[in-house]
Amino acid sequence: MINLLSPIQYIFIAAIVLYILDSVWEVGSLFRPGTFNKRLSNYFILTGLSFHCAFLIVVSIRSGTLPITTLFESSTFYLSLIVLLSVILKFLYRLQALTPFVMPIVTGFSIASIALIRNDLALTYNLKTFWLFAHIIPLFLGYASFTVSFIFSVMYLTQERQLKKKSFGPLFESLPSLETLDALMWKTITLGFPLLTIGLVSGTVWAKTSNILGLLWYLDPKVTLGALTWLIYAAILHLRLGASFHGTRVAIVTIAGFVIVILTFIGPFLMGHKHGYDKGSVKLEQEIEPEPPGIEKVKS
Amino acid sequence: MNLHTVGLNHDSAPVEIREKIAFSASSVPIALSSFTQSFPLSEAVILSTCNRVEIYATSPDNTLSKEALLDFFSAFHGLPKEKFADHMYHHQDMNAVRHLFFVASSLNSGVLGETQIISQVKEAYMTATAAETTGSILNQLFQRSLNVAKDVHTKTSIGKGNISVSTVAVDLAIKVFKDFSDKTIFIIGAGEMCELVLKHLVERGAKTAIVANRNYDKAKSLAEEYDGKAINYENLDDYLPQADIVISSTASPRPVIHTEHIKSAIKARRGNPILLIDIAVPRDIDSQVAKIDNVYLYNIDDLQTVANNNAKDRKKDIGNCVVIIDNEVEKFMAWFEELKIGPAIAQLRNHFHEIGEQELERLRPKLGEIAHEEWEHIVYSMQRTLNKILHKPAKVGKEKAKNGGGYQYVETIKHLFGIHHKDESKK
Repeated sequence: MINLLSPIQYIFIAAIVLYILDSVWEVGSLFRPGTFNKRLSNYFILTGLSFHCAFLIVVSIRSGTLPITTLFESSTFYLSLIVLLSVILKFLYRLQALTPFVMPIVTGFSIASIALIRNDLALTYNLKTFWLFAHIIPLFLGYASFTVSFIFSVMYLTQERQLKKKSFGPLFESLPSLETLDALMWKTITLGFPLLTIGLVSGTVWAKTSNILGLLWYLDPKVTLGALTWLIYAAILHLRLGASFHGTRVAIVTIAGFVIVILTFIGPFLMGHKHGYDKGSVKLEQEIEPEPPGIEKVKS
Repeated sequence: MNLHTVGLNHDSAPVEIREKIAFSASSVPIALSSFTQSFPLSEAVILSTCNRVEIYATSPDNTLSKEALLDFFSAFHGLPKEKFADHMYHHQDMNAVRHLFFVASSLNSGVLGETQIISQVKEAYMTATAAETTGSILNQLFQRSLNVAKDVHTKTSIGKGNISVSTVAVDLAIKVFKDFSDKTIFIIGAGEMCELVLKHLVERGAKTAIVANRNYDKAKSLAEEYDGKAINYENLDDYLPQADIVISSTASPRPVIHTEHIKSAIKARRGNPILLIDIAVPRDIDSQVAKIDNVYLYNIDDLQTVANNNAKDRKKDIGNCVVIIDNEVEKFMAWFEELKIGPAIAQLRNHFHEIGEQELERLRPKLGEIAHEEWEHIVYSMQRTLNKILHKPAKVGKEKAKNGGGYQYVETIKHLFGIHHKDESKK
């Protein structure tokens, strides 16, 4: 292999390029609808998502399991779910203002995820089991909907601030009503919460029966943070249903919840905790094509 | 071309004059038919709104003029011309087309970019069609004017952003609430402005209204009009928690809604947002209320600022509107010239052939007995000569019609061969 990236990974790079274009177009269309055509941004996001999915499908076929065998793969998988959910919501609720908020964030994360390509932590266990569907898929879907609910909170707070400050710019025009945003925030949280619960319960059962995480499985940082995430979202549900807890406050706590989601997702890896991933285990891409000694050298 | 418009509007005439010149909806058809009785070949449309009264008329002969139209107004309303003539403007031909396009696009309206004028122009046109006083020219002109207005409104921001306080209030309500069908509108003080906002909200789907007023009867009559409920002014606080949107415009010198009222209302509402619109001067709602979470308070100045900013944005776009309009005026004139060149050429042809026939008639007795065939040759030769002479002017005319300048060309030709004079001398 001459380059750092395998040909398959270039598919993902193509998706990122389209996401960058889309972000520019989405944000641009809010402020200069004349210059930045909305229809063009639809093409960008849909082709970008297609490339993204194509990449994940190829990776899955090659590894024979879901694209979660390395940290890079799971990050891109998670990002694709966010884009997918946003696109569905955008067309379902005619929400022109959603993707301008989602896409810059997703694009940023996608670019950051490239740094993880060389992270050689890989999943140590054979994942072709029932637990794959019981644990990982619900959690990824749950995280994606929490992320979108976070976006709605940001939109809510932006619109709320404009209403309070009486500053009515182009952003004010394109954002929907507070009630709409509140309802969508609520919908995505109530979609994410059962998924998170299923994922956590099945994970617990899996850890106890298979002993993957050892005897002290409950001390695994990912498990503890997962439990914390569950508690925060349970609190939001409880407060919103029970007490005088509406709008602004729900939005703020949702943002806090999202921070924990991100921490749960990526934190343990950065701190060196493994949660079923380890160095030198079944490396997929890297094993097939050995890693080059140095990128710069090769390029020049 | 011979298209004239004579009229007055809010700029050119005070209301005392406008109301005397105006036509009621029922008198427009009568006026139109009396107009076409005086000018049998003409087409006419009368546009009469509270801001303007205009007549658009065209006739193939030269009977129409500013004076003729002023006389018509004077005769119909039984009003001496001197009383209103100074307030009337007159546009002819291309300027008349441009004027109508400006009017329909609401560039000529008191409220720039308002859309009511489009339906008023449409109605004026429909009335004239029903009275059978429009023909090919005014049909084309008015249909085009409606399309131009639509174009101007979709391609520019001339009609974007509301510019009246009551509609701006609704704009804000739309950004707080998704739909109004399950919301309660609380009106405090049954003033005209409150009613206007309520009316807009009802148009947008609001179903429940509560009205409180110092004068209970007034509250009751307003409530009944909108299927709402009138309450005693003293019980105002009890109803606050139910209200999603509060519109207040009492004559009270002191605030009638205080921070603690809203605080307890929000608590009772479990944090559900509440939108407060205070149109009263002096203000009805304590400004500290705005600091409470999930409470959105706007006073008359806030609404006015938004309205003014929107009005400024509209003004900025006038230039773009004029570009669209001028382009369409040009297209209309080109269509018109093309329409006109055909009959004009035919007229010219008839004119020449008439002369030819006259000459042949004079020649015939002088020749005495000649064979039928020989006579046919003479006739044929005459026709050929005339057609050869006419060929070039007809060809150039068609070219001119396509590339502009057809109108002037036709006028010149008519002038050159005295076609006008003949028409007039016939009458």
